Amino acid sequence: MCLGIPMQIKRIDGFTAQCEAKGVRREVSLFMLQHEVLKPDDFVVVHVGYAIQKVTPQEARSAWEIYDEMLAKMDSPPDA
Amino acid sequence: MSISAKSWLQQLNDLPLQEPVKIMNVCGGHERSITQAGLRGALPPQIELIPGPGCPVCVCPEEDVYQAMQLALREPITLVAFGDMLRVPVNVPKGEPRSLDQAHAAGGDIRPIASPVEALQIARASPEREVVFFAAGFETTTAPVASLLVEGIPDNLSILLSGRLTWPAVAMLLSGDKPGFNALVAPGHVATVMGPEEWSFVVERHRLPAAVAGFTPESLLAATYSVIRQYLDDRRFLDNCYPELVRPGGNPSAKAQLATAMDVVDANWRGIGVIPDSGFALNSDYARWDARRRFPDYDSPGRRRSGEMPPGCDCAAVVLGRKYPNQCRLYGEACTPRTPIGPCMVSDEGACRIWWSGGIRVRKQA
Repeated sequence: MCLGIPMQIKRIDGFTAQCEAKGVRREVSLFMLQHEVLKPDDFVVVHVGYAIQKVTPQEARSAWEIYDEMLAKMDSPPDA
Repeated sequence: MSISAKSWLQQLNDLPLQEPVKIMNVCGGHERSITQAGLRGALPPQIELIPGPGCPVCVCPEEDVYQAMQLALREPITLVAFGDMLRVPVNVPKGEPRSLDQAHAAGGDIRPIASPVEALQIARASPEREVVFFAAGFETTTAPVASLLVEGIPDNLSILLSGRLTWPAVAMLLSGDKPGFNALVAPGHVATVMGPEEWSFVVERHRLPAAVAGFTPESLLAATYSVIRQYLDDRRFLDNCYPELVRPGGNPSAKAQLATAMDVVDANWRGIGVIPDSGFALNSDYARWDARRRFPDYDSPGRRRSGEMPPGCDCAAVVLGRKYPNQCRLYGEACTPRTPIGPCMVSDEGACRIWWSGGIRVRKQA
């Protein structure tokens, strides 16, 4: 449950944002980032549906490059 | 530009380390990355990486899971829980449901969720029905639950909370005679929320090297390199190898919401016992949404006892870093992800499940 996924904010409505990563869209709560100024195109790290930290586009991109490598290695189902 | 994993490994192999160093991690996410990337096999043999208390589902008290099952079976409610709670076994006589999954099969309205927001959506969709959110997790998951409460939840939703803090478990290990490790890699997302300062006691009080790490092999190797250098140079400081997320003081909004809705209390850890100041509980301002108060008949103190892992299961020793998963005599024999006996083989953050999924199929002979 500790997995945090970098996502890009597409739209903000109050404390709720539509975020996207790898073409997948999710509704994300921004309630835990009230101390940050957030706008569409910003990147956040999302954990259990809540944005827990704002990150730079470079940080989000490099995290995804490494996650992609790790996912590619997971070529067998976990319970096999 | 970040340094590659290969280059960190080269630097680690070049260090003049003679004696064994045991580095504990306390995060299922760390353990998963270490195992998937095969870091143990790539590091010098003197460096031992030990999975510690990093799985909230594994330490969730048996009586809490039992309470959630009984609520779902006996009350006209909907019970929602994070998916990896559903197969956690409890100790019941043969023939009775022994997990939330089996309670669901026996007629309980039990639904897996991936986010606290889903609990809110389910409650709003059926305002006439009671919904109980069974929320087990460490700080990273409990903070969103606090956030949910502070933002406001409907009266038909209540929380059965099994939130735990990670650092008190490490403090308990370090206060014992044989902690079993001499350096710590601290959890990146816990530190993102709560601030890295929580882990300063490892360095200041116990003089052990420590570094906060993220979840990539690069970040974990950077933290490993840091603690080994601290060890060799006889310097001690809390290094931050995940600066892109971990900032001084942590996440101020999340911490304020935790402080608004919750108290820190003594709490039971399954198979381990009560650890002082290691649990979250809804405070008096939010008591009306506390499922324990709403359904007091299901709080069963009689079930509260330490050492209540299933018979023969070494999950407690695995959680405390005293045994590797494959040193349990049930590992891979009676206990596999398809037929789990202990919670460490159930949860995605359990060390047994992670090792099995990582291809470690051979039990280590004692």
